[in-house]
This record gives sequence, C-alpha cells and structure tokens, in this order.
Amino acid sequence: MTMLTEELRARIGEERVYTAPEELGRASIRYFARAVGDDNRLYTDDGYARQWGYEGVIAPPTLVCETNQYADVPRDGDGYAGHRWDLHVPGTRQVRGGNSYEFHRAVRPGDVVTATWVLVDIAERSTRDGRAMLVVTSRAQYTDQAGELLATNEEQVIYVSLDVPGGDR
Amino acid sequence: MIRAEPTVGAEVPPLTRTITLTDMVAYAGATWDWHRLHYDPDWLLARGLTQPVVDGQVFGALLAEALQDWLGPRAALRRLHFRFRELVLAGETVRCGGRVTRVAGRLVTVEQQVEVVGDRPRIAVAPAGAVVELRT
Repeated sequence: MTMLTEELRARIGEERVYTAPEELGRASIRYFARAVGDDNRLYTDDGYARQWGYEGVIAPPTLVCETNQYADVPRDGDGYAGHRWDLHVPGTRQVRGGNSYEFHRAVRPGDVVTATWVLVDIAERSTRDGRAMLVVTSRAQYTDQAGELLATNEEQVIYVSLDVPGGDR
Repeated sequence: MIRAEPTVGAEVPPLTRTITLTDMVAYAGATWDWHRLHYDPDWLLARGLTQPVVDGQVFGALLAEALQDWLGPRAALRRLHFRFRELVLAGETVRCGGRVTRVAGRLVTVEQQVEVVGDRPRIAVAPAGAVVELRT
C-alpha cells in the first residue's frame, strides 16, 4: 500500500504566508539568547554591535528560523502554535528530519518578519529496518517589511509507519 | 578582538551544555513553541515516553553559538545545516564539536555534530555543518 496518496501528492506546491503582527523586538532577542545560554554581547549591547559594523543589536542567527512569533495561529491539541500543513498520514508517527538554513542579513529588532512556506516535496522512502516513511520537505523564506530577504529554512519532517515489516498486526 | 585564524583541520572548541527542563521551558517560551512533547508528563506517558524531549531546533542555536564564540564578533554565519539522529531527553548533557574542512578567502566551512555525553553516549545530530564569513 502506498503512503503517498493522490490527496497528499496534490498538496505539493502549496504555499502559506504569515506576517508577524509586530516587530521582532529587543526583548525577543534577549529572551532567546538567555534561553539558549548565549551571552554574546552582539545580541544585547548596541554599542558593542556598532563596534562590529552593525546598526545596533542583532538577533542570534537561528532565531528567525526557530521562532513561531510570526505565525500568530491558535495552538493545536499538542500545544503547537506554529506553521503546519496538517497533512493526514494515518498509522504513522512524526519525527524531525533536519534543517538547512541560509542567512542573508543579520536580523534586527525593528524587522517585521514575513514567512512564506512552500510544501516542496513529499517522497516515499523506507527506513533502514524496512518500514515505510514519507519525507515531507518544506521551505520557508523570511523577509522584512521592505521585502528584503533575511534567511531561508529548508526543513524535513518524516512520517514513519508504525507497521513493522513482516509483522502480523 | 581577533580570535583564532581558522585553518583546515582546526577543531572548533566544543560547547558543552546540560539541558534541564527549565532550559527547555525557557526555550519553548522564547520560540513560541509550546508543544507538549517538551514538558508535559501526561502527554509523554500516553505516548510511551519517559522524559520530555529536547526541541531539536535548539541544536541549531548551539551549533551557531559554538562557531560564534570561537571566531568572535567578526564572524557571520551564512549557512547552517543539521540532521537529527537520536532524541535528546531532559537533563542530558550535549557536546557540540566540529572541525574546519575548507577555507576559501573569507569563507570558512566546518563539519559539526552534537553528541550526548554521560551514561548513554550517542550521536544526536549528524551530519551537520556551517559556512561562516569572516567579515573585514
């Protein structure tokens, strides 16, 4: 039985656009740096950041790709409040595959982020132990209020079948 | 402040961090990601998990931090990629290491990984790597 149904295949190419309701903000930057234990002064000290060629404090590079601030969507039943495709893949569990980021310019507190997500591909594969899985590849492009590109994020989420190969469930 | 001049083969000084449940809650708040996988005992129990699972994306932040700490404020990350191999659970200690594989002008390419150290050592994130620009 194929996991990649026509219904799922038809979703490839879908796009969602989210624009943050407010600027990223200095507090978000400091909160993130503190949460990950990063005491780099580029993120909290305007004078120091200017000394190194920035207009003022910048965000840690991965913040724009990791935060759901821009999404402003309600929580789902699992408590998640970020972008999601809501793909229906019965009999699977979802795991993260990986991410690939490109950073085009340092993100600043005044940036109002727009994230444009595209569902790039859904491919059927199998795990090393022979279980079927679907690999869903999405790509986000983050831009500021002037349309300038800040960063991109290619992400893979994997739906692994709960069926054990050769099992008699 | 100019720090190490990276050369091919140079090791990225490892960044070691114990990720407590408090750290995970702080990260969930800071990223607006309140998925129950990262803190809710009832949700975890119902799915056969014994400990909250660390949000994998935090390893992106730590891999970036390891490079930025090493190369200093002139360094700007241009690319970063990472693949997840094993879950990391609340209270575990991770070590982010790496080495330089290429230096081309102002661009430094590194291979990185995140390993769990302690009672149950394993590679959590690999392959991973980055390209850093040393700004003038």
